[in-house]
This record gives sequence, structure tokens and C-alpha cells, in this order.
Amino acid sequence: MSMLIVSGAALAFSGFAATSLTMDRHYADIHGRGKEPDARLRLRLRILGWLGLLLSFMACIGASGWHIGPVLWCGILSLAAWTVTLLLQYHPRKLLHSAWIGIPAALLATALLLR
Amino acid sequence: MKEGLRQSMAWVHTWSGLLVCWLLLLVFMGGTASYYKHEITFWMKPELHQAADAPSRVTPAESATLAVRELQQRAPKANAWFLDLPHERNPLIYASWTNPPKKGMSREERRAAFRHQNFTLDPMTGLTTAAPRDTRGGEFLYRLHFDLYYMSAIWGRWIVGIAAMCMLVAIVSGVITHKRIFKDFFTFRPRKGQRSWLDAHNATAVLALPFHLMITYTGLVTLMFMYMPSPTKVLYGAEQNTMFSEVFPNAERVKPARQAAPLADIAPMLQQAERAWGEAPTRIVVSNPNDAHARVEMHRPSGQQLSNIEPTMIFDGASGALLSQAPPPSTTLAARAAIYGLHVAHFADTLLRALFFVCGLAGTAMVATGALLWGVKERQKYAKIVASGGRVGFGVRLVDALNIGAIAGLPIAFAVYFWANRLLPVELAGRSELEANAFFIAWGAAALLAQIRPTRGMWRFQLTLGALLLAGIPILNAITTDTHLGVTLFGGAGLRPVAAFDLVVLLLGALLGWAAWWLGRKANRRAAAGKSADIAQPSTLEAA
Repeated sequence: MSMLIVSGAALAFSGFAATSLTMDRHYADIHGRGKEPDARLRLRLRILGWLGLLLSFMACIGASGWHIGPVLWCGILSLAAWTVTLLLQYHPRKLLHSAWIGIPAALLATALLLR
Repeated sequence: MKEGLRQSMAWVHTWSGLLVCWLLLLVFMGGTASYYKHEITFWMKPELHQAADAPSRVTPAESATLAVRELQQRAPKANAWFLDLPHERNPLIYASWTNPPKKGMSREERRAAFRHQNFTLDPMTGLTTAAPRDTRGGEFLYRLHFDLYYMSAIWGRWIVGIAAMCMLVAIVSGVITHKRIFKDFFTFRPRKGQRSWLDAHNATAVLALPFHLMITYTGLVTLMFMYMPSPTKVLYGAEQNTMFSEVFPNAERVKPARQAAPLADIAPMLQQAERAWGEAPTRIVVSNPNDAHARVEMHRPSGQQLSNIEPTMIFDGASGALLSQAPPPSTTLAARAAIYGLHVAHFADTLLRALFFVCGLAGTAMVATGALLWGVKERQKYAKIVASGGRVGFGVRLVDALNIGAIAGLPIAFAVYFWANRLLPVELAGRSELEANAFFIAWGAAALLAQIRPTRGMWRFQLTLGALLLAGIPILNAITTDTHLGVTLFGGAGLRPVAAFDLVVLLLGALLGWAAWWLGRKANRRAAAGKSADIAQPSTLEAA
């Protein structure tokens, strides 16, 4: 139960991190001034970002049901977005590294949901 | 004059926000605290802590039987009994009752009498606990956030309602006027003056937008029969009570038969409900006890659904037979219950409750940064005048002073409320009113001082004071009770609320302390840069 919520939170974080990297300003925060993601990378990141958010929604529904799950998801989204915002400003490289947490979280969430 | 939609919305956003922001700060802080009103009340009644330390080993049926036995002795002729059994957020058995109203009793007198018609049982021993001190606890903060104080509840609700409607307007117009809501989604740029305040305002507002919209809208819905009376007036005319009994059939009370009949054993009824739900009811209401028309309502614990109306099973009190499961509510009522339920969040478990609390804090920060932003922007118009030794306009000074009084002053008032709870003598008459007065005396003093000297020094003074008072609460608790952090952190689960309260106020105090330190560092930097204008400037948060 709670493992689903944890993976849901990690997925929301990674999803938002990927989304933030599609934006020129934040991509430059990490890769240096003036750098821009190319179109293919941008598309890939955007898809990953939405996938992360979608899977995080499913994880919340799986953990708390259709009544309370969406409410939980909204709260988790806010928390994830604040974390991404602060990391981008103060530790942009760490954001890049910690965003990989989304991969194992996705596997865990899928496994728990299909169980 | 032709203006774009965005500019006109910016105007609406500014004024609908600014006019009510100081009241909204009170509402947001009080409402956010209310998510933990039971925990706050429990912290404010240290007499109960001892009983909560040991883990409860009695079954729900046994606790209900214990409470009913005590109620039979104390209030056999009551109108209704209310029982709260131990569960996750409540370690003890609470029981209270209402008596048939005496003639000529005003509503306030009945409410005051009700406050003394209760007792608490220790589920371990089955004995009544030490009488807790007279305090309204978290209930005061909860009521404060929509009834206000020192005025009739109706007036308070209208004032808060108007503020909430302004807030709703501010949220919608704010979204429209926000030029780069997606581009700036993750943006926060510190140390850039006005830019940073705007970023902070956006980050606290946009990233928790679902919460802000929800809480404002649902807050209005909780009092919709008051704010929008026309539809029910048209449909029911003078028969408003008929409307309520038709819309809320559960709330209807059965009239007593005035014929004595002993109350059936409560345990089998509770066990029947427990079997049906897979979990024991946590709240039991017995109306007309010891009467032929006695009714026993078992309420299912919340946590399954959004609704604030929990499923109930109703039993005949005299025979103990199941009369009905409450009928499934109509779609309209279910929708209202879900909307209402979202606001009060009874369904929230520990994690979700914490998320609601954090979002509430974000809402407070959103209102505060918005209020500060107005001053920051407006002050720029006076930059030249101030530089040549002049003063800022009346409006800027007033807003600065109100900002200090609300943003830095309100935390002081909250802290003083908790200090008063521990320091006022227990046997004092009218103690709970004195606690509330302490809240407003502290707030009034802070607001007045801010009006007299709305300077950066005042910001630092009030923030530091708030920080010390809040962070001092765990120490105060350690001195005045036996349940300090050293005990509560390692004690039974029943004491967890006390530990959590101490830790959260400590954290909030640290946050205020950090704000005061940050302001001071800014002041020092300015001084080091040798800008002498600082002294001439009456107030500043941003100008550094």
C-alpha cells in the first residue's frame, strides 16, 4: 500500500523533472547557458514526463481508490513540483541524477498494480 | 480606454486580493491548524496525557459498554448521548450529552452548559480521567476560521464568506493574468527583488492550485444555504425546516415517547455494525436514551470516501433491533457531501492529512507573498522621493504595517494562545475565554506596534518573537507537564499527537527564525555596501 504511494511520489517527481528539462531555461540551468535540448530529446523527455505523471496517478488510485486517490495525487503533485523547483534553483545537477529514481519506481508501481 | 483582458484581470486580481488578504491570512492559518484540531485539543489538555500513554486493550464493544454505564449514572434523562470510541487519532473514550432545554435558555447558555456535560474515560482502567482544564483547544481555532470572534457567528460567517468570494475571484483572475503559467511553472529566482517575490507567489499559488481552488470553493459550499438562500426560499418559502429535513433525512430527530423503556445492551448492536463493515464504529449517538423511542446510531469511521456524511446503521434503542441502514444519499446530497468532505478532510489518513496541512501552509504563503508584492511594487513609485530623504505614501505605509501585523503578528498570537493554555492557573474561572482573549491581546499588540513603527526592525522583532515563542513551546511543555518530548517520542502510540505538536511548532518557529535571520543578513549586506539611504527608509522588506 504505502510502497505504491512512495513509488507514486517518486514517479511524480521524475515526471516533473523530465518535463522541466524540456524547457530551455531549466535545460540551461543544468547544461550551461545557451544550451537547448534538440527536438528529439525534447519529445522523448516530454513523453517520459507525461508517462511518469500518468503512472503516478495510477499508483495513487491503486493505493487509495477512486474516491481518495485523486486527492492524494494532487497533494503529491504539489509536493513533487515544489521539490523540482527548489532543486532546479539550488542543486540542478542533483535533479538530473535523482530523476533516475523514476525508472525503478515505474517498475515497482507496475508490479504492485498488476499483482 | 482600451485594455486587454490580461491587464484588466491584473487589476481585479490586485484589489480583490489586497482588500481581504489580512483576514484571509487569519482564515488560512486557523483553517490549516484545524486539520489537527483534535491533536491540538489533546495537547491543550495535559491532564489526559497520562491515560493515553498505555495502549488500549479493550475492544470497541467494551469501551462503548463502559461509557454507557457511566452515562446511565450521570445523565439518564438526557436528550442525546454522544460517544467517541478510541481509534487512530483518539486514544480515549469521550462521552457527552445534551439535556432537554430549559425554558428561556439562550443558545449561548445552552452551548456553555453543554461544555460541562462530558467526561473522558481511560480505556485501560475504565475509570474517568482527571478532569481536563477548561479550554476550547483546537475548536477555538476551527471556529475562528469561519465564525471569527467577539461578534455573532452570523456576522463572522458573512465577513469570511465575502473574503472567500474575493479569494475565489483573485484565484481565477490570477490564473488569467499570469502570462507564463507553464513556462514559469518550475521557476524560482532568489535575490532578484520584486522578481523573486513574484516567483514565490507564483510557485506557492500555481503548484498547489488544485488545493487553493478546492479549499476556497468548498469553503463557500459549506455555508451555501446562508450565502445563497434564494433557491431554497423560492422552493420552500418560510418552511426552511422542511427543506432541511427533506434534504438531510438523517439529521431528523425522533420525538421521545415519554414512556420509560430500558436501553438495550449496546455491545451486540456495535458488533453487528462491526461485522457488516469489517471495522468497528467510532462514533455512537443515542437519542432519547431510556425512552420507548430510543434510537442508537452507529457511525462508520471515515476514510473510505470523500463524503463528510459517514454511513450509519440505526438501531431501536429499546429492543436493540436494526431499524435501517441509512438510505444511500441522493446524488445531489452525495455531491454536496463530497464537496463538504473535501474541505474538512475527515477521510485523510496521516500522510494525506500532512499533505493538506502543507498545502494550507502554502496557501498562507501565497496570500502573504501576494500582500508583500503589492508593497514592493508600490514602493518603487517612491524610489526617487525616498532617495532624496522623503517618505513613502500613506497607502504603502498602511499596507506595510498591516502586513507586519498579520504575517509576523499572527504567529505570535497563535503561540501566545498555547502559552496561555499552560500558564493560566487551572482553577481560573472563565479560563477558556481568557485563552482566547490572550490570542487577541497578543495579535492586537503586534498589529498596533506595527502601525506605530512599520520598519524593517519591526519585521525582525516580531518574526524573532514569534520564532522564540513557537520554538519555546516544547520547552514550556516540558516544564509544565510530564509529557515532554523525551517521554512522548518513546512512549505509547496514544502520546504521538503530543510529540507531533511539539515538533511541528518547533519547526514553524525555526522557519520564522530563519526569516528573521535572512532579513537581518540582508540589512547587514546593505550596511556593508554603504548605502546610507537605509536609515532614512521607513520600512523595507524588498528594497535590499
